[in-house]
Amino acid sequence: MRSDMSLPWWAWAAMGVGLVAFAAMVGVTIRRNRGIHRSLFASPYTLWMIIFTVVPVILIGYYAFTDANGAFTLDNFKNFWDSNFNANKSILAAGEAVGQDYSAYITRGTVNVDTLVYSLWMAFLCTVICLLLGYPAALIMADRKMKLGPTLVVLFIIPMWMNFLLRTIAWMSLLEDSGLINTFLKWLGFEGVQLMYNSEAVLLGMVYNFLPFMVFPIYTALSKMDFRLSEAAADLGCNSWQTLYKVTMPLSIPGIVSGITMVFMPSVTTFFIPRVLGGGNTMMFGDLIEAKFLTEGNWNVGSALSLIMMLLILVSLSILRKADPNGEGGGIA
Amino acid sequence: MTPEQLSERIALARTKDHLIDLIGITKEFDGTPVLRGIDLYIRKKEFVTLLGPSGCGKTTTLRIIGGFETATEGALLFEGQDIAALPPYKRRVNTVFQKYALFPHLNVYDNIAFGLKLKKLPKKVIDEKVEQMLELVNLKGYARRHVEALSGGQQQRVAIARSLVNEPEVLLLDEPLGALDLKLRKEMQLELKNMQQRLGITFIYVTHDQEEALTMSDTIVVMKDGTIQQIGDPKSIYDEPANAFVADFIGESNILRGTMVQDELVRFAGANFPCVDFGFGENAPVDVVIRPEDIMLVGEDVGQIVGTIKSVLFKGVHYEMMIDAGEYTFKVHSTTMQPQGSKVGLNIVPFNIHIMKPMEEVASNEI
Amino acid sequence: MMKWLKKCYLALVLIFLYVPIIVLIVQSFNAGKSRAKWEGFSLRWYIELFQDERTLQALFVTLSIAVLAMIVSTVLGTLAAIGIHAMKKRPQALMMTLTNLPNTMPDIVTGISLMLLFIFTKVERGYVTMLLAHITFDTPYVILSVLPKLKQMNRHTYEAALDLGATPMYALFHVIIPQCKQGIITGAMLAFTLSLDDFTISYFTTSPLVQNLSTLIYSSARKGIDPSLNALSALMFVALLVLLLIVNRRTAEDK
Repeated sequence: MRSDMSLPWWAWAAMGVGLVAFAAMVGVTIRRNRGIHRSLFASPYTLWMIIFTVVPVILIGYYAFTDANGAFTLDNFKNFWDSNFNANKSILAAGEAVGQDYSAYITRGTVNVDTLVYSLWMAFLCTVICLLLGYPAALIMADRKMKLGPTLVVLFIIPMWMNFLLRTIAWMSLLEDSGLINTFLKWLGFEGVQLMYNSEAVLLGMVYNFLPFMVFPIYTALSKMDFRLSEAAADLGCNSWQTLYKVTMPLSIPGIVSGITMVFMPSVTTFFIPRVLGGGNTMMFGDLIEAKFLTEGNWNVGSALSLIMMLLILVSLSILRKADPNGEGGGIA
Repeated sequence: MTPEQLSERIALARTKDHLIDLIGITKEFDGTPVLRGIDLYIRKKEFVTLLGPSGCGKTTTLRIIGGFETATEGALLFEGQDIAALPPYKRRVNTVFQKYALFPHLNVYDNIAFGLKLKKLPKKVIDEKVEQMLELVNLKGYARRHVEALSGGQQQRVAIARSLVNEPEVLLLDEPLGALDLKLRKEMQLELKNMQQRLGITFIYVTHDQEEALTMSDTIVVMKDGTIQQIGDPKSIYDEPANAFVADFIGESNILRGTMVQDELVRFAGANFPCVDFGFGENAPVDVVIRPEDIMLVGEDVGQIVGTIKSVLFKGVHYEMMIDAGEYTFKVHSTTMQPQGSKVGLNIVPFNIHIMKPMEEVASNEI
Repeated sequence: MMKWLKKCYLALVLIFLYVPIIVLIVQSFNAGKSRAKWEGFSLRWYIELFQDERTLQALFVTLSIAVLAMIVSTVLGTLAAIGIHAMKKRPQALMMTLTNLPNTMPDIVTGISLMLLFIFTKVERGYVTMLLAHITFDTPYVILSVLPKLKQMNRHTYEAALDLGATPMYALFHVIIPQCKQGIITGAMLAFTLSLDDFTISYFTTSPLVQNLSTLIYSSARKGIDPSLNALSALMFVALLVLLLIVNRRTAEDK
């Protein structure tokens, strides 16, 4: 880890200016309203969020665009594109020193980009599977004839009270070579199967963890829907599949969008699940970021990766927002 | 208005026996003017109604008096004292809000006792006063009810009781009957008027319902686009509207474009009519306002003008007929019916023809 | 037929969700330490749980942080929601962006950014930093559960209170807060459970010396989970279930 952790003087100055500006704003609001105005109740929170959210994000940005000496650089992003960037740079420099072009000897390290693509692909698969599994479940529970619907929804939430690490580890006991599934197969006289330490196991773990986040918003959207609409559709000649396809599904889009957001976002950044169920054979972007910070101690590249991650999520969110402009999809809250 | 003029007017207002004075009040919301100079005084025990279409600034005026908004310019005096800087909880004024604004987490008793508890009165006194109020608004025995379980009319009564129990000098009412059905609204109008007379409290009442204003008020203030159009008692406002807008807003009227031929003679619908107005100059364009009940239907041969009956509607007390005459369609109220398509003569006595300076946009009943 | 199919489908999905939990609970009663082999029923791990200092310490850290973070974030968030609600359009939009920011940020980035902050300001990571981090990610959720209640509220009730002689403070505590009580309770419960379950952010904001249950499980995941941790989570799970049943019974009686 870096020993030098001091910020340049201008960073401190900027923070000082920010604080003074905040105090001034509070002061002006008090003056203008000749006393306490309710909007001032938000000021402790504002201050808190500036210190614990805005400043930390700025710190990440600061690291992403500086080198180990604090000088401005874009090398960290080049490092994302080419994980051998630093090594290659020294190889080329060594070549230059002896007056030769070594560029034939260097190769681009693709691990960072590959990991990102792999994470996106896994998150995409996880989202699709959750949607395919979760939509029918939500639909069945939201059916008015299903009297137990609300109770069943609670059954989807309860598993989340069990520590998610432990739940994931519990899958190990089911999937491992000497685990319950293999024991059962062997007892039936079959060959044992390798279930763990591959992408499928990781995907299973992700679907398992994020499925409730898909079911819940869709259920909320469906149960808020006016059931007379589907009656009207039936009255106008739709059979039950047409009603589902032409009326129910389009109306539940806010719920679907919200569900996709709530599953896709944490899936991309999953870390821990690949470690347990993938056994280190698979690495996702979250693991990569963590490794950069805690194992390699390379904050600059780690910050650049985090920034890329945030950017990606912001872009996908704004695309999703287009599909649900009013943000009607009910979340967990 | 310059500060000198303002202080002069404040000094003048202090010499009068007014309860509330609004002097040159203006109000802007984010640069959009809502009130453009309101001058109004209110006397003790007066029932004043601010009347106008939505967006005319009547509610804003009320909220400035209540202390929920501050005027951009102008002065607000209460018994001669400037109270602009006084927060609502220090004003001797109480408000009945549009949708009642009862506290949903409190029952009827606690809603009414809210203000009294703040005054730290002994419990026995509070109990007594709440009981009296419940009696006044005909809700005896409802003290422990939950407010959300009450009907609209009952909630309205609780809201009134909650304000009156504090014995305010002035009660502000913001469209208090707007959410009630017609029959209940009529009952409550009478009850409110009775209450006001019995308690001797000043009422400032906001409504867009002209009938309500005419029934209840001592003084009506007609507003439009943030300005006062006319102030007067119901009769004078109805009989002598200051302009075509007031005429149209208060009661039904025929508003026509006409020409003042000379003093006391006006020309419209292709004929000259004697009238009682003068001073507009010769051949000046004017607006002519005639109430539908002021047009008399006579024989074809004796009418000042002749028209054809286009439609007849029975309205309970009278018939409403649309009559084509000249280039206008007149709306006429009459207790006797004439068959559709028949020709009739129309007569208007000079006293019932109201002449006004023309407005740019005349809201008329021409179709 | 269709109905039967539907029920079967739901049952299968629920089995998928509950299998690991059942496995976990069964394991906690296993006499042996093996994950797969059943060596007879025993309460051994439950007894060991109460003798294992490290686990108990982690339990204490988890619960105390969850409670403290819940209290602070509920107060902070409720006040903030009231403030944001009273704001004009533009500052309100700004505040909502700020509030939604932590939700849109991946946990790992939130955790790392806070870690950077603490390293920078030379605050030693441990109990306090973890608490600060938990308050930070809890508060927006409180705001998001209180704000809808404020929006539903008749905005004139606040003015009515002032009109009847209440000072703004009195009106806040006796009129506004009672009316959004439900949202505040939901927000507090949400904050508590989020904090209880958090791993990623805690992982980056604490030191190995101060561990909550999640980080403890994580650090021992490689060498095999101590079955007493299974026993502990089984106990917590049952406790939460009982709590839910009581709350449900209560609300059913209220109706």
